Amino acid sequence: MDFYYGMAQLIGVHTLLGLSAYVVLLTGQVSMAQAGFFAVGAYLGGMLTVLAGWHIVPAMLLAAVASALVATVVGFPALRVKGLMLVVATLAFGEAVRIFWFNFDYQIAKGSIQVGPLGGEGFKQIRYFPENGWTTADLALFIWAWVIAAMAALWWMDRSRVGSVLRAVGEDELAAQSVGINLTAVKVSAMGIGGFIAGLGGAIYAHYTTHIEHLNFGVVLATFAIAYPILGGLSSVIGVLLAVIFIQGFLVEALRFMGDWRNLLFGALIVLAMNVRPDGLFDARATRALRRLLGGRDA
Amino acid sequence: MSDFWWNVIDPVQSVLDGVMFGSIYALIGIGFTLIFGVMHKINLAYAAASIGGAYASLVVFQVFHAPALLVFLSAAAASGVIGYIVYICCFRFIPTEMPLATLMASVGMLILIDEVVVHATAGMPEPYPAMFDDVMIDLEPFWIRGDLAMIFALSVVAMLVLLYVLHRTRLGLATRAVAQQPSAAQLCGIDQQNTNAVTFVITGALGGLAGAMVGASVGILSPLLALPLTVKGLIVTVIGGLGSIPGAIVAGLLVGGFENVFQYFRGVTERDIYVMLLLFVFLTFRPQGLFGRISTRD
Repeated sequence: MDFYYGMAQLIGVHTLLGLSAYVVLLTGQVSMAQAGFFAVGAYLGGMLTVLAGWHIVPAMLLAAVASALVATVVGFPALRVKGLMLVVATLAFGEAVRIFWFNFDYQIAKGSIQVGPLGGEGFKQIRYFPENGWTTADLALFIWAWVIAAMAALWWMDRSRVGSVLRAVGEDELAAQSVGINLTAVKVSAMGIGGFIAGLGGAIYAHYTTHIEHLNFGVVLATFAIAYPILGGLSSVIGVLLAVIFIQGFLVEALRFMGDWRNLLFGALIVLAMNVRPDGLFDARATRALRRLLGGRDA
Repeated sequence: MSDFWWNVIDPVQSVLDGVMFGSIYALIGIGFTLIFGVMHKINLAYAAASIGGAYASLVVFQVFHAPALLVFLSAAAASGVIGYIVYICCFRFIPTEMPLATLMASVGMLILIDEVVVHATAGMPEPYPAMFDDVMIDLEPFWIRGDLAMIFALSVVAMLVLLYVLHRTRLGLATRAVAQQPSAAQLCGIDQQNTNAVTFVITGALGGLAGAMVGASVGILSPLLALPLTVKGLIVTVIGGLGSIPGAIVAGLLVGGFENVFQYFRGVTERDIYVMLLLFVFLTFRPQGLFGRISTRD
């Protein structure tokens, strides 16, 4: 049973990561910095519970706010550039964050051992959950409470005016600007919201793996972050969840018997999926069908 | 010589080495910039394809024990083929108005190429031949490593060939026409798909040469080289200005020298932070890059 709880935890954390990229992608910006924000949340969240002895929930919230601030600051140069330039800028920023943690040492003695981040060796002993006697089931529930809250918030946002504004900017900046939408405000807030969600995900990730190191937060994770919403189709948050389940649940776990060939298949399947369904696996038509099924009105 | 001069020699030497190694970044940057210029798309699989081509040339090296120069050329040829495959798989059939889909497909291709290499070599680094690696050119008080000098010379030749093709042949004319105005080029009877495919093959060959030279200068090939090379190549493209070939060349040499001098002063773990800082300085003060124009298009 623990295996399935572990699965649920992994899918939950990756869904948060995907959602953080989803918000930013709605405004038409491809951010490769999500892994960087995720790392900020992970390291700060871990430091707050391990070094400062905080409770997990305020630690997560503060870590998420800090990530959101970092993301907002990054959002401003993002206004000066778009397209490829933005991809490169955010990619470089994410890498810079990773290298920052690679060179960051801050350890204090706790009992007989030293705890805290230690450069290339990473940040070990983030043992909030084991120390407080949480079972894997508790943890899975805790993570999914956050995931559902984030998905519900974004689902609601998507259907509100805010969602329309974000999508308007993503579809055509010039048109959006000419109907009086403030591009700067919209893009920066999207980055901020994305940073917040990535920070939450990062903080949970640090605590459930108990050991993080800079290599966890490289280009590969950043790629996964944007792969979820793109593969899922940008029409709703459900697509992100389905893409995470497809990749982490099906490709990584169910195909475990294929061993190393899995990664090869993973690359090939992405190429194939984008050729067959360039709008994403779960596109606007699927979203409309889902809404009808749930009895909602067509959006 | 005075103490001051002794303190200057080492940093200058590292800039010199870095600039020569930077010619590899310049080649990768040219590849990104050319594809962007012609298609307005990013091909994230480009650096992986370059390393893949270098790996393919190992067959020539290990089976036929071919001389190094021949190995390099076969890397270029193999990478050209991979470039064509990348074009077919990621760009040919995906509608142009969906930039996210092509971006993602090229990421999938990056993973695929990397994994094929890992499977073919069991993930172990492979030794790669070099030329003149036992030669040291003595330019009192500096030294020039023979293999780096060879890399630099080969890159310059490759760039000159590219510039000749682009500016002196009908093929180059077509490429530049498509880059400038795709629909007008089509009206003049230029086959756009064909031109795009040829661009991918040409840039692929350049990349393969770059991949081979990474192998030659480091002495080994490893699939782990692909991602850092992708990041550096993209940075070079942006600093040089999107779509600008001279920009990519200058920026490549600049980044190479810059990174090596910071490696000398701050160590290998920190050097990339300074390269990123250089990029941010450019994005803030000169977002169009060294030679780029401020474009209204994406």
